[in-house]
Amino acid sequence: MIRLSSADTTEATESTEAVATDEAREAVLAELTGRLGDSVLGSHIRPGDDLWVRVDRAAWRRAAEATRAMGFTFFDYVSAIDWLPSPFGRDMDAQEDLVVSGAAPKEPAPIVQGYAGGETRFQVIAHVYNIATATGIHLKADVPDDDLSLPSWSSVYAGANWHERETREMFGITFDGHPNLINMYLPTDFQGFPLRKDFPLLARRVRPWPGIVDVEPMPGGADDAEGDDQ
Amino acid sequence: MTAVSDPSSIADLAAEATDTRVNLDFESEGMTLNMGPQHPATHGTLRIVAKLDGEQVISAEPICGYMHRGYEKLVEVRTYPQINALINRIDWLGSFANEVPFILAAEKLMGVEAPPRAQWIRTILFEMSRIANISLFLGDFGLQLGGMTAGFYAFRDREHVLNMIEAATGGRFHPNFDRIGGLKDDLPKGWIADSHVAMDKLLAFCDEMEDLLVGNEIFQTRTRGIGVIPAEIALSYGLSGANLRASGVDWDLRRDGCPPGLVYDQADWKVWTHPDGDCFARTWVRLQETREAAKIVKQLLDTIPAGPVMAKVPRIIKVPEGEAYVATENPLGEMGYYVVSKGDLVPFRVKIRSASFNNISIVPWVARGAYVPDLISILGSLYFILGDIDR
Amino acid sequence: MGLVESGRVPKPLSKLLNLSRKYSIWAYQWGLACCAIEMGAAFASPRYDVMRLGVIPFPASPRQADLVVIAGTVTDKLAPAVVRLYEQMPDPKYVISMGSCANCGGPYWDSYSVTKGVDQLIPVDVYVPGCPPRPEALLEGVLLLQERIAHEDMAERWKGDPIVVS
Repeated sequence: MIRLSSADTTEATESTEAVATDEAREAVLAELTGRLGDSVLGSHIRPGDDLWVRVDRAAWRRAAEATRAMGFTFFDYVSAIDWLPSPFGRDMDAQEDLVVSGAAPKEPAPIVQGYAGGETRFQVIAHVYNIATATGIHLKADVPDDDLSLPSWSSVYAGANWHERETREMFGITFDGHPNLINMYLPTDFQGFPLRKDFPLLARRVRPWPGIVDVEPMPGGADDAEGDDQ
Repeated sequence: MTAVSDPSSIADLAAEATDTRVNLDFESEGMTLNMGPQHPATHGTLRIVAKLDGEQVISAEPICGYMHRGYEKLVEVRTYPQINALINRIDWLGSFANEVPFILAAEKLMGVEAPPRAQWIRTILFEMSRIANISLFLGDFGLQLGGMTAGFYAFRDREHVLNMIEAATGGRFHPNFDRIGGLKDDLPKGWIADSHVAMDKLLAFCDEMEDLLVGNEIFQTRTRGIGVIPAEIALSYGLSGANLRASGVDWDLRRDGCPPGLVYDQADWKVWTHPDGDCFARTWVRLQETREAAKIVKQLLDTIPAGPVMAKVPRIIKVPEGEAYVATENPLGEMGYYVVSKGDLVPFRVKIRSASFNNISIVPWVARGAYVPDLISILGSLYFILGDIDR
Repeated sequence: MGLVESGRVPKPLSKLLNLSRKYSIWAYQWGLACCAIEMGAAFASPRYDVMRLGVIPFPASPRQADLVVIAGTVTDKLAPAVVRLYEQMPDPKYVISMGSCANCGGPYWDSYSVTKGVDQLIPVDVYVPGCPPRPEALLEGVLLLQERIAHEDMAERWKGDPIVVS
């Protein structure tokens, strides 16, 4: 149970519900494992809520075909996660301050992947839905740094086309077999992959975070705006 | 590289279906028509590059990114309350609805539940933002199809619901009212009675729109049978909201996958579907939805429980480690946030699954073989908000 | 003829010209982001009704427009389109920058893809602050612009500083 409900009666009903759907998700996981065999590398179930399955990179397309055949026909999204802890700290300028002040840079934190485990810095994540049973699966796949590519889903789930373009643009992960892997958002001459953790937000480095200034002085008495009207 | 030609694959079936719409025998040299990024018929800065054969569209490719503001990166350097203020601006017509799934995802990770009164008010405001959003769609769609009057009516009656949102939250359409664990404030005095009046006006507006626009013969001629999307295709593109229901798929996250924290089960309402899947069906379903939303609001207004609007949460919000995906049925369709937290003040990664992105990705498929004026109908009826596509 | 271009307009004539220009501003409707909806409310809704101020919001093309309201976020990808639109407008032309995003980048001040202020691209006459500004604020911006036009010496067109609605 993830929900620490403060309400009195809802708790009981919720927990029974959770057990019921939990079994459903176990069954889904078992069926997917049956179809993919050894390619299922890890899984995580949050009872009554969600299911995560990590599959082998080579089986990424087969996983899509399997889930589709299992009735997960509603395509939600494909994206990726960069598990590298940000080298710049939370405000993007923390590390630079350390360098300027002469302090030793912090030891980079280790990469820790989330649910269903993982081995690489980049993980592609996708969500598909079965609208008949109202259950969804989060599929994850590891993408090694030296070969940032995965088989494309676009011929299985048509909607994956745009999502893969977006993922390619934001993370630099390519999708083999994608018909048209061009930029979705950014101008073609844009440098870098914005959603990678080591992509800095430069505006934060050239000027301090405005939240630091608590109270600004009041504007001066003689109003400039009126002078402009003349 | 071309797609693998597997006869059972949905992409091939889809390609075949579109090919039948284009009369390939008469294909001439063709021309390329560029619509946008500044074009009156594309509300927002969407650009469509259409290759034409005569007046028929051979291929249409939307070019997005003119409104890309980098949300998914910006949220990685903002704390949860700051994000809440920012994400109002994704789908700017239904702002409050943007906050809810994110807050619910954070609540899920923290194991917090909002008090019942807050859940009720959340649901009411959620539906009000749906009305504010879709009522503008009805007017705007009329405008795009040449019926300018509808636009004036929509702008007039939309003010009623904006007034109520403003009275409760202080913002006309960027309320920033939702909080982890509840709401910023309780409702002002007399708000419930006023909302009843406003909802009655909105119901009258729906009737008016039905007579003025949806029942109009010219409107029907321009929308019926245009841009038909079969259910199978709609699902594989991830269409959601009214676009999916207009293709006959009876699927509504408010009823079927409602995350805890919203109280749709407390009202008696109906999910409308339409079997046709054309532009008319999408408009019609949205009109009915506006009506249902007003009904939900009216019912919930009568049953708001008393009590606090804020649960006990720490002053400085740190969300425990974990991953959660919460999606709600927003005015435009399914909007979800995949939140990855590392137990910090800021989320580690937030994937924003916005409805319009998926909804508009079907344009190359559905526009193939359509006529240029119908392209306007198709784009208008798919109903996108640029901020929701590009984020 | 030629007087206006050479900047040697007699005062009464200048006043008359300004008066007529002031009340017949053709505004090109170009919505970018959230602000566009408030602009729509100001321009097209009976509640705010910009036409009573003498602004006509329906030119079909920027080539017929005197005023463009940059209502919303300008991104780096969109920037060339904004400049192109501005260049298409005939002189004398005016720009209202509406909302925080167009003024300075607003909530996206640290974004990698947003232009921090449309005034980096084109000269702005009136800045309307707010996120988004209420329709009334835009109407005040229009009034301030009209005041500016009324006192305008055409030769001095670009010498003044922009006005900020306080």
